[in-house]
Amino acid sequence: MPESRLRSRANAFDAARLRASVLRMAFAGSTVHVGCALSIIEIVAVLYRSHLNLGDRTPRAAGRDYLVLSKGHGVMAQYACLHELGWLTDADLDRYFSNGTRMKGLSDAHVPGLEVTSGSLGHGLPVATGLALGAQRLRSGQRVFCVVGDGEMNEGAMWEALLFAGQFRLDNLVVIVDENRFQAMGPTQEVISLGSLHAKFAAFDYDVLSVDGHDEKALDAALDDLMARRNGRPKAIVAATVKGRGVSFMENNNVWHYTRLTKETFDAALAEVEGR
Amino acid sequence: MVGVAAGLAKAGFRPVVYGLAAFVPMRVLEQIKIDVCYEELPVVFVGDGAGVVYAQLGTSHQCTEDVAALRAVPNIGIVSPADRFELQYCWKHLLQSKGAGYLRFGKADGGDVHAAIPDAPVGDLLQARPGKGDWAIIATGSMVVAACRLSAALGGAPVWSAPVLHPINRAQVESIGRAFGGIFVVEEHSMAGGLGGLVAEIVAETGGCRVIRFGTRQFSEFCGDYKYLLSQHGLDDSTLLAGMTSAMAREAP
Repeated sequence: MPESRLRSRANAFDAARLRASVLRMAFAGSTVHVGCALSIIEIVAVLYRSHLNLGDRTPRAAGRDYLVLSKGHGVMAQYACLHELGWLTDADLDRYFSNGTRMKGLSDAHVPGLEVTSGSLGHGLPVATGLALGAQRLRSGQRVFCVVGDGEMNEGAMWEALLFAGQFRLDNLVVIVDENRFQAMGPTQEVISLGSLHAKFAAFDYDVLSVDGHDEKALDAALDDLMARRNGRPKAIVAATVKGRGVSFMENNNVWHYTRLTKETFDAALAEVEGR
Repeated sequence: MVGVAAGLAKAGFRPVVYGLAAFVPMRVLEQIKIDVCYEELPVVFVGDGAGVVYAQLGTSHQCTEDVAALRAVPNIGIVSPADRFELQYCWKHLLQSKGAGYLRFGKADGGDVHAAIPDAPVGDLLQARPGKGDWAIIATGSMVVAACRLSAALGGAPVWSAPVLHPINRAQVESIGRAFGGIFVVEEHSMAGGLGGLVAEIVAETGGCRVIRFGTRQFSEFCGDYKYLLSQHGLDDSTLLAGMTSAMAREAP
């Protein structure tokens, strides 16, 4: 394993600490979209800890693997990881959502470490597909990991990108669906039912695995398995997750897509994720 | 979504397509052009949160180019109400129209301009504040309230609101252009292609006065709340007033 990988670093990207960072950010900035950040914590944690080649470990390292957050509403989870890497400071987290910072509420490519601007859904996966095609053409060996929301799969551009990646045999692309079964306006089943995403990826000739998106060992195993298969087929992981994971009163409660933390709910949520 | 609305319209319905302005009309512009406008179908589009009112969420949720985009598309009306009364006036017009229409509005909630629903032909500019002097202000949407606040400091300049950007009463714009020495146009939209451009085109074509535009110019580089972003774009009261008074001094005989 290359030295640049972080698997050996003890306690790096600890899920509880990442969740605490998200809560601190959300409370300091008085912001929304807490639930959709908490559902992808383990996904981004294992990617940064064990799978992403970060090159010289600077945000724009040439030859780095790409982590594209297509569901930009979950950006606080990625910010928490950038904080672990030292790319964001404590002060940055405290000033999230504040006047004069670059840390806007949704994923924004002008923040070092973020690859796309993706508050508008259905943009990140097409861009990730282009990054993967570019890497293939350049024979750079770079991989592209694209985290998408299940609700985001309502967007037509997502399916065009999936077809494109298959056509161009982009086996360096891994699409990871955060299947938390909610979107802004309700359960995905009730808005536009997605049926079985696993079956849909299989029908598109993807190598696809379904895992518990909060089980880091299962995520690691799935990623290792898929990345070993350089067979011309794009990869997908359907990660079953819980929106608001880690805070009992947020779990599967979609009001936490739009609800802001008060001092009381912040304290209660932080106590839960820190196991107090 | 827009294709489905076009199909519903062909089937005899009167669909309303709602989204944030950043997505409706920006994301679906081609569908609006081909599926709806080219066939002159009666679909109403509602673009919510137009301008920079979705401030901290960033560029993806802000929209300062919708009017410019739709002004170039034939067969669609464009309305931009300044308060709840203009909203009802515009909505009535959209539903009475036999063609497509676009309602742009923000959520600035800056207060009322009028005391009742305006009773005026479609396309008229509405006098929001009577006044006198050599300069007039024409504004739309959220900036009408701001223009009214600035009027006194500008020597009582009259303020017109333009709730209907297309089709606008061209003769009225022309007559304002002849009656005054200069017009300030203020909008929470790009300076390119919005109300400012529209007024400048009409006045230039008919030999009128100076037109000076105030609007957004660039993407917002930084995160910020609504008030912060308005000031970044020079659309806060003090920057607007400074720009207007310096233009008035520069242009004085």
